[in-house]
Amino acid sequence: MHRGAMYRPLRLCSGFHSAMEHRVSPLNTPTPSRLQRLWLSETIRLREEHAGPLDDSEANRRAQAKGGALAERIQNRAWLLAERDGQVSALQHWLHGAHLAGLLLVLLAILSGTSLAVAALGDGLRPVNVFWALGSLLGLNLLLLLGWALGLLLSRDSAGALGHLWLWLSAKLARDAQAAQLAPALLLMLQRQRLSRWGLGVLVQGFWLLTLITALLTLLALLATRRYGFVWESTLLGGDSFIAMTQAIGSLPALLGFSLPDAELIRASGDSALANESARLSWAGWLVGVLVVYGLLPRLGLLLFCLWRWRRGCAALSLDLSLPGYSLLRERLQPSSERLGVCDEAPTQLHQPHAGSHTEGSQGALLVAVELDPQRSWPPALPKGVGDAGVIDSREQRNQLLDQLSRFPPARLLIACDPRRSPDRGSLALLGELARTASATRIWLLPPPPGEALDSARLGDWHRALEQLQLSYSDSAPFSWLENGHD
Amino acid sequence: MTKALKLAVVGHTNVGKTSLLRTLTRDVGFGEVSHRPSTTRHVEGARLSVDGEALLELYDTPGLEDAIALLDYLERLDRPGERLDGPARLARFLDGSEARQRFEQEAKVLRQLLASDAGLYVIDAREPVLAKYRDELAVLSMCGRPLLPVLNFVSSSQHREQDWRDALARLGLHALVCFDSVAPPLDGERRLYDSLALLQEKARPQLQRLIDDHLAQRQLRKSSGARLIAELLLDCAACRRSVAAQAVLEQGAIRELHQTIRQREQRCVEALLRLYAFRQDDAKAGDLPLLDGRWGDDLFNPETLKQLGINIGGGMAAGAATGVGVDLLVGGITLGAAALIGAVLGGSAQTLRGYGARLKGKLKGQRELTVDDAVLRLLALRQQLLLQALEARGHAAVEAINLSTPQDTSWREGKLPEALHKARAHPEWSSLNPGATLEDGDRQEQVQQLAAELL
Repeated sequence: MHRGAMYRPLRLCSGFHSAMEHRVSPLNTPTPSRLQRLWLSETIRLREEHAGPLDDSEANRRAQAKGGALAERIQNRAWLLAERDGQVSALQHWLHGAHLAGLLLVLLAILSGTSLAVAALGDGLRPVNVFWALGSLLGLNLLLLLGWALGLLLSRDSAGALGHLWLWLSAKLARDAQAAQLAPALLLMLQRQRLSRWGLGVLVQGFWLLTLITALLTLLALLATRRYGFVWESTLLGGDSFIAMTQAIGSLPALLGFSLPDAELIRASGDSALANESARLSWAGWLVGVLVVYGLLPRLGLLLFCLWRWRRGCAALSLDLSLPGYSLLRERLQPSSERLGVCDEAPTQLHQPHAGSHTEGSQGALLVAVELDPQRSWPPALPKGVGDAGVIDSREQRNQLLDQLSRFPPARLLIACDPRRSPDRGSLALLGELARTASATRIWLLPPPPGEALDSARLGDWHRALEQLQLSYSDSAPFSWLENGHD
Repeated sequence: MTKALKLAVVGHTNVGKTSLLRTLTRDVGFGEVSHRPSTTRHVEGARLSVDGEALLELYDTPGLEDAIALLDYLERLDRPGERLDGPARLARFLDGSEARQRFEQEAKVLRQLLASDAGLYVIDAREPVLAKYRDELAVLSMCGRPLLPVLNFVSSSQHREQDWRDALARLGLHALVCFDSVAPPLDGERRLYDSLALLQEKARPQLQRLIDDHLAQRQLRKSSGARLIAELLLDCAACRRSVAAQAVLEQGAIRELHQTIRQREQRCVEALLRLYAFRQDDAKAGDLPLLDGRWGDDLFNPETLKQLGINIGGGMAAGAATGVGVDLLVGGITLGAAALIGAVLGGSAQTLRGYGARLKGKLKGQRELTVDDAVLRLLALRQQLLLQALEARGHAAVEAINLSTPQDTSWREGKLPEALHKARAHPEWSSLNPGATLEDGDRQEQVQQLAAELL
């Protein structure tokens, strides 16, 4: 927000890097940190969202074999895919760049810190104007600190302008499609925890802390090796207000043990630089104290605060498993159901019931119904001379009827079936057994009750099954056949 | 690690055992389902896991078809002077030769039930309670395993739930679950597992985990689904085509826009089907009613201007601040040039360029075509209906869902959600436009808000 536009992308990188505790040694075989794994997972998700699903069967298998919770499996899968497709090496390159940028930044901080101190004290030929020195040491720092604080308070997520610029830059600089999603993925992931502001904060505060420390050291070195006289000058302000101001500023450092020039000394310094040693010491102590208390300490505090927020946010980072991209992976990586396969093979052939007929000494005609719905009215009005054997359902009824039929075999047997039942082997076996007791057998597939329709597929099953049994069937009652023996 | 609870799914042929398994495992491809009897002739297993831990194993078995004869046969196995109990009698049967011939299928079922902790006895609730079903239960009860009757096809108008309840009570089976495998009730799985837990007390913790996981997954699927729909709507709302003002070209552009929207909707349908683990052809989006496009003047839409202002203002401020920083840092030797460059750089050159292109188009007499409000409402409605249908659909269902246009025209009215109004001003939010930035933070936020509204 406040400094060198050209360093922005780099700064973001090294902010990221500084939180990774230097675990990564670029270009060696990496042990990915948590953040890197999350980042790559997000990259792969974005890539799949843009370019369609990747060929991931091997990665899925390996991730599944490794086990763990779903988030871990997704990360393993993403890592494997990224390794295969080159995102890992792109990430390594990127981190390498981030290292270099971080180094540059450190160098810049040291340079500007030194120049701040040198500019503040001057060449030592002229006495040092204390408030000018103070202004050049702290003025820019405080101004930018204010800007940073305002930006933090006012913007919803301070990745805004910087983030966009970075995205734009990385889109321009991305050399291949594989790495194109790296930058958006990082921003998206950090945004979710509102982390980018704290990451940037760490970077900004760190930069300034280093600058101020260098300035302090340079200041001490200069004060130690050169003789500076201190004056104050003002056209508008009187000596009293100047004394009050100096002492007000210096009171806080004084609590920490830094020297505070007394009123006499200050008044005397208004005229010309004092030559005596104690006055110089007193002013120098005051200057150093003010730099430490108003420059160094706030930056240190803010750095620690940002670092704490960043660490906490990083620990809370996780994959948003409700994203459609991850929801789809759930079934592939941690299936809630798996097929176990066939554990008892199907036989090559099922047991087939068979029919037949009885040829000798049969007489009479009989109607029997099998497994009828008790709600159906039965029997229908029968022609004369046709016996009714009722409805058979249970084992006892079956056995009783079969006993009777084997003693008095009928010449014509009509069996009524409800084609709404399924033609199972038990029923077909019964039909076959009944048919074997009679000289001629026909099957009557009953019409559905009023208001209902037959399922044509099931009716087809009946037809097929009866054809296999070699029994003739019809969907209307062949009563004339039953009565007379011919249609 | 708990041992998975083993369940054998048993029942008469053609009552929907494989269908029940498909629905419970959410696996549309499990086994084979058809109207023919004895479709399944083998025993096949499936495992349900939560967080990688196997909790339940379900075994699909062949249908029982000849229970009356089998029971007859079993009762004749007792030698004179002995009285076998159920498992002993079954052991003798399974050792004998009939277990490999006439009763081979039945033997498979019994072996599997004996190897399981409990059985689910599936019933076609449309069937009358026949003697063969009672005999089936008699044979199955010889296994000495708890049986939970599951009434399938209860959503049919001809079901006889009460008859079955009475009959099962007479056989001592009082716990019973209604579970239609084609249109399972929303809490059907919970009720099924709860009832199972009553029969298998020691398995209660793992069944409870399964129930909790199912609930969590359902919520997750629902919110993922809402997100997919929100993306669709945002994509369509932000879609924009620039056309020269000539009737022929305009007609062509409208047709092309329609085609694009239709394809985008189909993509959403497919994504939803994938999310709910259905086949890609289980639902088809019907035709969109051919409405005229919307010739919007979004160029001066307040949101556009606001966005422009914020972007440029914010960008310039940030850029200028940065530039001032540079100026100060180098002691002002750039004479404010850095501040100026910063302001220009930060001033969202992209935004300006994009807006400029649109403005130029406007001046050249081009018109901007966007998707009609009514189409957006229709898309939202249809996809929400699809989401509901998928939630209530069992994985045994074979008939495809057809997304048609509602007959009443109430969907043409009503207010569009705020997020869609916003999207009108952001052509870069639509994947249907070139140069889309889908990862934009604002867009993600709007998608989230819209998804929450859709839930």
